Amino acid sequence: MRSISGSATTPRFLAPESSPWGQFSGVDWAVLFSMLLLTTIGLLTVRSASADMTIDYFPRQLVWVCLGLVVFAVAVSIEYAVLVDLALPLYGIGCVLLVLVLFIGQVRGGAQSWLGYGSVGFQPSEVAKLATTLLLARFLAAVNRRVLTFRDIAFAGLIVAVPVLLVVVEPDLGGAAMFMPMLAGMLLVGGVRIKVLLLAIAAVVALGAGIWFYGMHDYQRERVQTFLNPGTDPRGKGYQVRQSKIAVGSGELHGKGYMQGTQSKLKFLPARHTDFIFAVLAEEWGFLGVVTVLFLYAVFIVNGARIAMRARDREGILLVVGLLSIISFHVLYNTAMVVGLVPITGIPLPFLSYGGTFMLFNFAATGIILGVDIRRYVNR
Amino acid sequence: MQVREVRDDLVNRVRFLTALAVVALVVIGSTFWFVQMVHGSFYRELAESNRLRRIPLQAPRGLIFDRNGTLLVDNVPSYGLLIDRSRTRDLTAALRFAADILERPLAELEAALAKNAGAPAFRPILLAEGLSLTQVTRFEVKRLEHPEFEVEVRHQRLYRHGAQTAHVLGYLGEVSEREIESSEGAFELGDLVGKRGIEQFYDSALRGTDGERVVVVDSRGQVLDKAGGTPAAAGQPLRLSIDLGLQQEAQRQLQDKVGAVVALDPRTGEIRAIVSSPSYNPNALGRRISTEDWQAIVTAPHNPLQNRTVQNTYSPGSVFKIVVASAGLAEGVVDRGTRVHCAGAATIYNHRFRCWRQGGHGSVNLEEAIKHSCDVYFYHLGQKLGIDRIARYSRLFGLGHGTGIDLRGEKSGLVPDPAWSLAARKHPWYAGETISVAIGQGPLLTTPLQVAAMMAGVANGGRMITPHLVEGTVAPPPDGLNLPPGVLDPVRRALWAVVNEPGGTAAASKVKGLEVAGKTGTVQVVSQATWTKNESLPFEKRDHAWFASFAPADAPELVVVVFVEHGGGGSKVAAPIAKALYEKYFRIGDDAPVPGP
Repeated sequence: MRSISGSATTPRFLAPESSPWGQFSGVDWAVLFSMLLLTTIGLLTVRSASADMTIDYFPRQLVWVCLGLVVFAVAVSIEYAVLVDLALPLYGIGCVLLVLVLFIGQVRGGAQSWLGYGSVGFQPSEVAKLATTLLLARFLAAVNRRVLTFRDIAFAGLIVAVPVLLVVVEPDLGGAAMFMPMLAGMLLVGGVRIKVLLLAIAAVVALGAGIWFYGMHDYQRERVQTFLNPGTDPRGKGYQVRQSKIAVGSGELHGKGYMQGTQSKLKFLPARHTDFIFAVLAEEWGFLGVVTVLFLYAVFIVNGARIAMRARDREGILLVVGLLSIISFHVLYNTAMVVGLVPITGIPLPFLSYGGTFMLFNFAATGIILGVDIRRYVNR
Repeated sequence: MQVREVRDDLVNRVRFLTALAVVALVVIGSTFWFVQMVHGSFYRELAESNRLRRIPLQAPRGLIFDRNGTLLVDNVPSYGLLIDRSRTRDLTAALRFAADILERPLAELEAALAKNAGAPAFRPILLAEGLSLTQVTRFEVKRLEHPEFEVEVRHQRLYRHGAQTAHVLGYLGEVSEREIESSEGAFELGDLVGKRGIEQFYDSALRGTDGERVVVVDSRGQVLDKAGGTPAAAGQPLRLSIDLGLQQEAQRQLQDKVGAVVALDPRTGEIRAIVSSPSYNPNALGRRISTEDWQAIVTAPHNPLQNRTVQNTYSPGSVFKIVVASAGLAEGVVDRGTRVHCAGAATIYNHRFRCWRQGGHGSVNLEEAIKHSCDVYFYHLGQKLGIDRIARYSRLFGLGHGTGIDLRGEKSGLVPDPAWSLAARKHPWYAGETISVAIGQGPLLTTPLQVAAMMAGVANGGRMITPHLVEGTVAPPPDGLNLPPGVLDPVRRALWAVVNEPGGTAAASKVKGLEVAGKTGTVQVVSQATWTKNESLPFEKRDHAWFASFAPADAPELVVVVFVEHGGGGSKVAAPIAKALYEKYFRIGDDAPVPGP
């Protein structure tokens, strides 16, 4: 497989000799700085959001960010080709962890999705997501066809289906859904026909309908229904959307000021340090804050995509597309959810939401993306 | 070259995905613009109403005193349970929890809630009243689990003299939907308003202005901080013209009787006592009276809620002879010396009219006719006057229309004349009816209060007053009864004789040390062919008893009108009650000096 991908198909350039940074001289500063800025904004917002909580999440988030930076550094350093080589065993480990969590996992937020002891733990689905992306990149790069055959697509689907099903039975629908943009993005870039992709989307819709009727808990169904008809019962199904929109809207242009948001300080806003962190930001920093953050995400996504476009080989392109798809979809879904455009699901906001494993995933993913970039000139 | 193409293919697809993401970001950003910039103020208000909670402060209702400053109505604290439906997810569970603590059936609470189903969800609804302190504590302890419940302290009216002042004071009740509509926003669902009596008539003065306390709360309803508000302005206190001692005496006198007493000052129209019997306990008529209790009051014999002094009309009987005599003198139809022979009956318009006294009174002048209440004299006088003049003087004496007292629901009574007959009965006036009306029978109807106002006009020499309970709020009576000075003197002298001369119909009720003037009246409920002893008749067929009076006769300070439904004769039943009231009011038998006006 190795011989098909990599050097044989990619044009080669020489790294500029004069740079004192060595191979790091090619790092994409836009991606790096938008990540760091967003992380800083996230830290401040978590501090504000949890100011009135029994647990102050700010120090914990700080620890996670430090750990994340270590993970980031490691991810940048590792040759991504090595990671792709290790994709199969990593995928295996991820799936084993997902099976394990079904038996010895802790239940949080209605889903048995946590591995760990006491309050320290992590979500194996994040690990599985990373491993699946690697394996998918490896497979699709190896296929190396302009147009993917049905068998290719079916196999790619199978690779994703195993961890997705394991996550669905936890049941963590939001987590399972996050595999889909990755699969769709990588298939599209990897060479699927539009016709086939539409067919696949139809299949997903059918699958969604199946899940709705057979695979969902009542609270999850209620959440979806909330989206369809919010505001009927302030404390019932529509409560979260309603409070979130009140928080966002009442921020107006300038916001109520840092640590001054009444919706979060008076506990009207649910999950304000995690899924609804962006509502806290919108309330306290107003539309100006929202635009700033959305702009930083745009910078991150556009420059991340440029890394994909200039990557050395198919593996690199596909890997960056997969990881970027996951992060982008989180950003789009979470911000849309906070403002009431899509149903509420437990999908956090990258770099801003509190959450250890998710933070580490984002840092690792960004590290791998930048790792792909700085190795674009390296000839292996 | 193929390698290049494959790569371009990949790059283009990445570019397409990126464009998709950027477009999505722009759409999301626009939505934020819409929510924050276009609808920002709307959401700001929602955030404010989330944050701020308005707690109404009930204004203490004005206290009510009698003329001597004795407290008649007090405000006492009472604990009520409110539910804020917007703060609970499971309403049934919440109600079950409350029913458990209150030890009341769940259905009762559900009914209370259903009654206010139309109110907005965030407005707290009163579920129960009169909570014990133990119950209050149990709700406060469970405040965190059940933030939807709130205990409020309310002022509750305590009518200190219960049934004795029930009709004059009235009571409070929950505002009706019709009252809300006609109040133009002054009332809200669940407000208490005066339902009868003074509480109703002076409701706006007594109620004061409710205030509110504005506090900052968190999502669990816990109060974090104050944020201003307006204090409640207490209602205006009222001092009534009622004399509690006299009122209580009148109530005692009417105990076990059905009837009414009105006592007033003829110089001013100030009412000193106004009693209707049977009465009811106004303290039992809270706003959430149980259906059984209400039924018990409504279906009680003789309808205790009815205020007989103003809401019931009766034939005035012989008391009306005062009006006819005054009309005769004023019109010059008779004078003091005009004599009529009474043989126990008279045949007028081919009909035989009997006098109450079998055998007749012999030859009587006006004064003797009043003193002995001779019917035959007044048959002839009535015939001479005619119905139109009788009706005119009746109206001048305040009959046939409300007196203008500061109580609601006053009946106007009926002064019949030919025009009325054509309009209401669709047949012409029969001449014989004039003869009946002349002795206060026939279609003529008056309230006890109208009779009292009429007596006041006679007592003070022909000037009408407006009876009232509170100074300075009622309209003066219409002018009209401008009799030449001295015209009423023979009538007043005759009324004095009724009580103070031997042979007068109320001579048995002469008050020692006080010259009382008055007129008895006995109203036949069923027409009788023969003279029957009243005591042998069943209650509802017995005569009504009247006694209308004033004292002291030469300078009247008090008018007392007593009416006893199916009581029998006026002289036997009604006059002794008036005697007791005069003795109480003028402290006859006490060593204490006579009170000033």
